[in-house]
Amino acid sequence: MRKKIIEMRGIVKSYYLGTPNELEILHGIDLDVYEGEFLSIVGASGSGKSTLMNILGALDRPTQGHFFLDQLPMENVKDEGLSKIRNEKIGFVFQTFNLIPRSSALNNVALPMLYGGKSRSVRTKRAKELLELVDMTARSHHRPNELSGGQKQRVAIARAMANDPAIILADEPTGALDTHTGRMVMDIFHRLHQEQGKTIILITHNTELALETERTIRLKDGSIVENKINEKIQLEGSYESA
Amino acid sequence: MNLLENIRLALEGLRANKMRALLTMLGIIIGIASVMAISTLGSAMTGSVSKTMDKIGGKNISVYLTPKNYDSQATLQPEDYITQDELNSFKETYADQIRAISLSSSLGSGKLNSGYVHKDVSVTGANPDYRLVNNINLVQGRFISDRDIQSSRNVIIIDTTLRNNLVGVNGDPTGMDITVETKNTNETYTIIGVYEKVVIDNPLFNMGDDTRIECFIPITTAKALNSQSTAIPGYENFTIMASANTDTTAFAQITKQYFIKNLGALSDYTIEAQSMEAMVSEATSMLSTLSLGISVIAGISLLVGGIGVMNIMLVSVTERTKEIGIRKALGARNSAIRSQFIIEAIIICLIGGIIGVGLGSVLGVLGSSLLKFPTTPPFTPMIIALCFSMGIGVFFGYYPANKAAKLDPIDALRYE
Repeated sequence: MRKKIIEMRGIVKSYYLGTPNELEILHGIDLDVYEGEFLSIVGASGSGKSTLMNILGALDRPTQGHFFLDQLPMENVKDEGLSKIRNEKIGFVFQTFNLIPRSSALNNVALPMLYGGKSRSVRTKRAKELLELVDMTARSHHRPNELSGGQKQRVAIARAMANDPAIILADEPTGALDTHTGRMVMDIFHRLHQEQGKTIILITHNTELALETERTIRLKDGSIVENKINEKIQLEGSYESA
Repeated sequence: MNLLENIRLALEGLRANKMRALLTMLGIIIGIASVMAISTLGSAMTGSVSKTMDKIGGKNISVYLTPKNYDSQATLQPEDYITQDELNSFKETYADQIRAISLSSSLGSGKLNSGYVHKDVSVTGANPDYRLVNNINLVQGRFISDRDIQSSRNVIIIDTTLRNNLVGVNGDPTGMDITVETKNTNETYTIIGVYEKVVIDNPLFNMGDDTRIECFIPITTAKALNSQSTAIPGYENFTIMASANTDTTAFAQITKQYFIKNLGALSDYTIEAQSMEAMVSEATSMLSTLSLGISVIAGISLLVGGIGVMNIMLVSVTERTKEIGIRKALGARNSAIRSQFIIEAIIICLIGGIIGVGLGSVLGVLGSSLLKFPTTPPFTPMIIALCFSMGIGVFFGYYPANKAAKLDPIDALRYE
């Protein structure tokens, strides 16, 4: 049996907007994600996607329920502990890339390793490897404002891979890109999934992109309304031949 | 996440906003520079005070008769003066503490005539001890001897300037006769020695008009020539040079008490004894009070500078909210964010401090050489200033840094 990377049981997230107005966003989510899976979470805005992603990404704690990330219980983990988990277990890819504007592509990729306490030589070596993986070696000393959207997102993916995380959390990674570059970014995800066996969770409202993944979870009003295995579809893209 | 990485991050941050960083530093630069300039000047002055003290005699105590009440029209009566006998018995009583007693009596200014040379001079009657007490450096011949005093000889000591005028730099004027005309006298003296003038190049010890050439003759000769003082049986002032291990401040008091007891009742006058050390320490303490005052003002500038640093750090934290969110998402701990911003503040202050120390040292050295006490900037205040500027960084950087550290990663990431 494959290892569970994510195990969620009865996850509830509610916000206190000053008593007694309590706003419950997630109403008891049960979710299992296995190692090496390529999963998509879809849902309209306001469905609780972002809240779920924040909990999955150890940016936030659930109000109720049990959550194991890479078999670690996430209850009662303090802020510092969450930082460590984000650093070691999660690789974020954001819609708006979120690169540090003052740092070169290389330094951006190296940043998670810096917070992970890796030595400078190790960081540089690994960052170079990762930039090569996303075909950005030529631009490794460029700053984000000298890169195109697709290039930025490739750097961001390389950064997400820096500490070899248990899961890659991609929040609308193609949302700010045109179709062509979006396709290229998706190809990289497929490649990471197939060649390196990465567990990838793709959060999107694009149903087409979701169909490319192995399984799709549909969220509506804070509950999972659909959990569907997608048929393997042949993509026009070149990731299989790459 | 070690210190070096943090410093690198901070420098990266500062490079992105060079102008802003520089403007922020300005307050610190001005503050540190003024403190540094003041302490450089202060140490130059104190240094020059002790140097000058050696020149003019740090072991000297000046003793003089002074009116009990400055408002009264008191004049010295002949019986008020301190006689030679009284001085001798004083010297015997404290033989261990006294190295020399210098006596002098001015004959006033006059004109020297010798061949074609005519010079304005001032003539001072002195005793043999005068040479030791006043640090007279003889280069040729001899100084006034006891026998010159006893016989009131017409002998004279001239300075090197006058010697150069009379016989040239390599000449020997001893044995030469010169005529000096003063207000009431016109006497011929035989030159017995040449002294080199000690130049006291210190505005704190301005001894008045130093351009006049001073010549020395035996004090008895001077008294005999000065019709007004012929009748006067003693001296109204003299200078004691204490022996090396004597506490001059304490001995000044002893001297004062001795003469008050032994001189008997003086009409309108009393005796005062003041050690050079006491005078110098008075001057020094006045100086340090002054520097303290200026340092306080400089300290206010540092405070304002620190507030400027805090302000800009707060702006920087707000501006970089998103970046903080990204860093947190990538696994930066609160402590890493906090130290990043504190170190940034420290570096701003430290760079400001270094520039300030440099600028202040240059200003201090320039200022002190303008005031004619050349110096090198003191080391300790330099270190203190740098540590202090770092302290400002920690103090004023902590609050903004802590604010950054406490940001919620989700809110920070969402911030636009």
